[in-house]
Amino acid sequence: MRAAQVVNTLLLKEFVSAFFLAMRYFFAPKPTINYPFEKGPVSPRFRGEHALRRYPNGEERCIACKLCEAICPAQAITIEAGPRQNDGTRRTVRYDIDMVKCIYCGFCQEACPVDAIVEGPNFEFATETREELYFSKEKLLANGDRWEREIASNLAADAPYR
Amino acid sequence: MDFVTTALDYLLGIPFLGWGVQIGFIYKALALLVALLVFTAFILLADRKIWAAVQMRRGPNVVGPFGLLQSFADLLKFVFKEPIIPAGADKALFLLAPLLTATLALAGWAVVPVDNGWAMANINIGILYLLGISSLGVYGVIIGGWASNSKYPFFGSLRAAAQMVSYEVSIGLVIITVLLCVGSLNLNDIVVAQKEMGLAHMLGVPWLSFLNWFWIPLFPMFVIFYISALAETNRPPFDLAEGESELVAGFMTEYSASPYMLFMLGEYISILLMCAMTTVLFMGGWAAPIDLPPFTWIPGVIWFFIKLSLVFFMFAMAKSIVPRYRYDQLMRIGWKLFLPLSLVMVVIVAFVLKLTGWGWHGGIV
Amino acid sequence: MASIKVDGTLVEVPDYYTLMQAAEAAGAEIPRFCYHDRLSVAGNCRMCLVEVKGGPPKPQASCAMAVKDLRPGPNGEPPEMFTNTPMVKKAREGVMEFLLVNHPLDCPICDQGGECDLQDQAMAYGVDKSRFHENKRAVEDKYIGPLVKTSMNRCIHCTRCVRFTTEVAGIAEMGLLGRGEDAEITTYLEKALSSELQGNVIDLCPVGALTSKPYAFNARPWELNKTESIDVMDAVGSAIRVDSRGREVMRIMPRVNEAINEEWISDKTRFIWDGLKNQRLDRPYVRKNGKLQATTWEEALSAVAARIKKAGNKVGAIAGDLAAVEEMYALKGLLASIGSGMTDVRPAMSGIDPSMPRSAYIFNPTIAGIEEADAVLIIGANPRKEASLINARIRKTWRAKNIPVGVIGERADLTYTYDYLGEGFETLVDVAAGKGSFGKILAKAQRPIIIVGEAAVSHANLGKQVGRDVIAIASKLATGANVAEGWNGFALLHNAASRVGGIDIGFVPHDGGVCSADQIALAGKGELDVLFLLGADEYDMSAMGKAFVVYVGSHGDQGAHRADVILPAATYTEKSGTYVNTEGRVQQTARAVFPPGDAKEDWAIFRALSGAIGKPLPYNSLAQLRSALYAEFPHLANVDEIAPGKVADLGKLAKAAIKTKSAPFGSAVADFYLSNPIARASAVMGECAALAAGLRQAAE
Repeated sequence: MRAAQVVNTLLLKEFVSAFFLAMRYFFAPKPTINYPFEKGPVSPRFRGEHALRRYPNGEERCIACKLCEAICPAQAITIEAGPRQNDGTRRTVRYDIDMVKCIYCGFCQEACPVDAIVEGPNFEFATETREELYFSKEKLLANGDRWEREIASNLAADAPYR
Repeated sequence: MDFVTTALDYLLGIPFLGWGVQIGFIYKALALLVALLVFTAFILLADRKIWAAVQMRRGPNVVGPFGLLQSFADLLKFVFKEPIIPAGADKALFLLAPLLTATLALAGWAVVPVDNGWAMANINIGILYLLGISSLGVYGVIIGGWASNSKYPFFGSLRAAAQMVSYEVSIGLVIITVLLCVGSLNLNDIVVAQKEMGLAHMLGVPWLSFLNWFWIPLFPMFVIFYISALAETNRPPFDLAEGESELVAGFMTEYSASPYMLFMLGEYISILLMCAMTTVLFMGGWAAPIDLPPFTWIPGVIWFFIKLSLVFFMFAMAKSIVPRYRYDQLMRIGWKLFLPLSLVMVVIVAFVLKLTGWGWHGGIV
Repeated sequence: MASIKVDGTLVEVPDYYTLMQAAEAAGAEIPRFCYHDRLSVAGNCRMCLVEVKGGPPKPQASCAMAVKDLRPGPNGEPPEMFTNTPMVKKAREGVMEFLLVNHPLDCPICDQGGECDLQDQAMAYGVDKSRFHENKRAVEDKYIGPLVKTSMNRCIHCTRCVRFTTEVAGIAEMGLLGRGEDAEITTYLEKALSSELQGNVIDLCPVGALTSKPYAFNARPWELNKTESIDVMDAVGSAIRVDSRGREVMRIMPRVNEAINEEWISDKTRFIWDGLKNQRLDRPYVRKNGKLQATTWEEALSAVAARIKKAGNKVGAIAGDLAAVEEMYALKGLLASIGSGMTDVRPAMSGIDPSMPRSAYIFNPTIAGIEEADAVLIIGANPRKEASLINARIRKTWRAKNIPVGVIGERADLTYTYDYLGEGFETLVDVAAGKGSFGKILAKAQRPIIIVGEAAVSHANLGKQVGRDVIAIASKLATGANVAEGWNGFALLHNAASRVGGIDIGFVPHDGGVCSADQIALAGKGELDVLFLLGADEYDMSAMGKAFVVYVGSHGDQGAHRADVILPAATYTEKSGTYVNTEGRVQQTARAVFPPGDAKEDWAIFRALSGAIGKPLPYNSLAQLRSALYAEFPHLANVDEIAPGKVADLGKLAKAAIKTKSAPFGSAVADFYLSNPIARASAVMGECAALAAGLRQAAE
């Protein structure tokens, strides 16, 4: 027993068997996808970059109820509200999300009574400066306009399970 | 003028062959330097690719085809980054350390014969020179760790010092066994000896020259040398000097940009040097594995680098498959296993050689 | 007393108690919408249904049924009521479902969201699915003025607003038109409400049908920091809660204080908050080449210090309407250190003499005491404008006991009927002599209240003697032969929160000082070099001649325009200040937000200035200042308490000789909505004032 152990040690048995095991994996097909050029599937429930949506007639959905601000566990959302100049309806004057604080929990979209704030499928919004991650209302609305098709189809796909 | 030539003769230990030859030296040195650096760049990439492949990843594959230019991109990145020198650091030593590491690693290559007689300096004490230079390499690490004026680098450099000193001993003894067989300190002679004597000759199949090489008669020494070389170059599984789990990045913690790059360069060049030594001592250097065409048509330098790459592949595989040793385990292996083992082997080899009269005795040049 | 079992617990309650009151006595909670403690019982929301034993077998509205309406059991067992049986729950759920049939589901855009009775009670009694598949009722929103926003779809017809405006505010302008589905709350011809208490309907409305117009959509209740404070818009000192977010005051709400404001506040108190953000002085200014230029504190203070050093003791100080006791104390100390006693907090030519006892300048019967009065005489005051909540208290007493009220002075709509006696001093003399019907009532009254307005004691054109004589006659009336033992009916009604506190700490001429009008006259003649205006904007700024005017205040109003140096200070929501209301009750404001820009708390400005002139005041913190203040004036340490004036002191005053022959009494408040610098900076107050003056028609 002891002698066998010595021989095994001296002949580096473990090393050699590990070497052959490693070589098997060496030539095994790689599961890595070639990320920037190919992408994996994204669930309809994926919680990515935030967007403020509009109604089909172009009216912004957000009614400044501030429920998202209230529920946000990271306190990343800042809203200031007031009556809109032209028709006096309740709208946000300011809708900021600090994407640096955000933890992407999705509570805001759950809280939203009008499906205005949503977390879209986009996760590629890295920026060069911190400031660019302080999203303003304009930025969020622009996101909404840009991703509306995907967001709408995701919402529709997930609707039966809610 | 005579005085100068004589003095240089004396200092270099080689005949001074006139100014033209000296300038040719510079060209040779430059050629070797460039070749080495380019080779290092691809070896670095290969290291990462091998590691990635074992882990079922792809490794760098964006810069250039198959990521071949990755190392050059890294070079550019390091060069353009701002080197940050800690406020409390000894600035001069801090910058000296990586330079020292890189320079010494490159200097070692001066005596390595990449083909028959193709050494920058084909000196008779080549192996001693190599031992000396690689021992000096530890200074770069120690100075870097100390000059950083920070605890993790300091711990890292202490570990590195102890580790390198420990394995230097067994490496020395392993080399002695080879030297006993060869009877010369000249690296060129060691390779030639492996061509001209050994198992193949004894078996009557001299063209199977790979059986001649010392890796068969001195197999335990080959293994010890391989493992010690890993430890000597701070390669995993013995990379305790920069063990990120406890020491952030060891002696390199405070380094950034080009000084960091010089450290990495020095490290990889000394790894290659160790691979080259393994090739020369145990794998017949530039010699073709089978002494028949078409193998002999391939120039020796190509064989040399093929062998070197094979050894490096084993280095990379060791990195991929062996978990890091604990520091006490490292020391135990060094002092209580390798040292007695190699000592015993020196005695055994000496006895065998004395009793049988084997060994290379100048041979047929 | 009657016994009743509430959910099995036997309680003894007066037999006139309603079932709801009995339940409250037993600790059982009953949901409600239309019932309100201070309003009449309507019983139309049906949310308070309970099950009773000893009465009709159907669910009963607990707010409208008295304990005595229930009969005992066959063996004399006490009647029983249940608030938590399945029948009660089912009944209330049914009521809730009916209420929600026509209530829109717009909580996210409703300002009441988060503090809504309907929302809260729907959590307890609401069902999660609607069975109503028809169209919801739609009601047009009404215009009822610039302060109250309507969203009539949300109305559940509890009629609290109608009852409040008719009963408490005394304006019969709101009502419920139509029946059933067509019922609508509206004002007469959709005119703006004319009451100065209309803001309270916002609090009363249990849903979001009536909300605050200036505050519309600005904030949510959960993001507001609530600071309990007191109001300084008038001398009543209503209890308020300042709701702030960040550095902004978002709204002001009433707090319950039975002794002062019950739970109402006036519109000026409630809607003043936009004035706290406009026209603010946020940096020190120094006048250079005839123009005010922004500067640093060091420069401004050294400019003032240089002038004070040159002026010797020719330095005066006038405190305005909103000054707290602390800063007046510090300013008085500053002036005392350079040997000047020229301080004044009273309006021009006030009859209140510094030598008069405390009972001569406070509202002795107290505001809650009005309810005990059996006759009220109002001299030279319009309490509706000067102290809306005192007026509401008089109306409450008048409604309850139909007490006689007499008015001498301006004829105005006070929301209750009164005997108009005359407009001037002669009438007062007649009444005091027991002449006329009201004179006789007053002579017989045991608990009369003689309310003396500031317009009766301060006569800028006629001199101080008129005021002194008015106080003397009023004292005589208050100490008449039939007056009950211990009753002090002399009630001086101040207009400004700073007055009583200032007089209490002697911020009146002393040690050779002269009163405010005389200080201005001296300044005009060049005999007063430096004049401090501590938020004082109600004086004639053109008459100050070449005096170096230092304005310490919060808003860019008249005083700031005249000033040579402006030192920006804090408003009442930005500092903890002591105020003494007209009753003599000591109260403290609390800091809800920080002053804007470089503005500092007033007392700290005077402390810094005293350092700049080399005579530092002996306190470095508000706590140290207060301990010095309390050592000198111990009664100020008793917050929320009144140091009562003595009736005997009035008796002495009553004996003074009357020299005045004739003088008219007007009202001291010309425009209710624009009476102080904060109000003048407020856009909402400006709109209200324009509307009240008829400059703008209720166009919408």
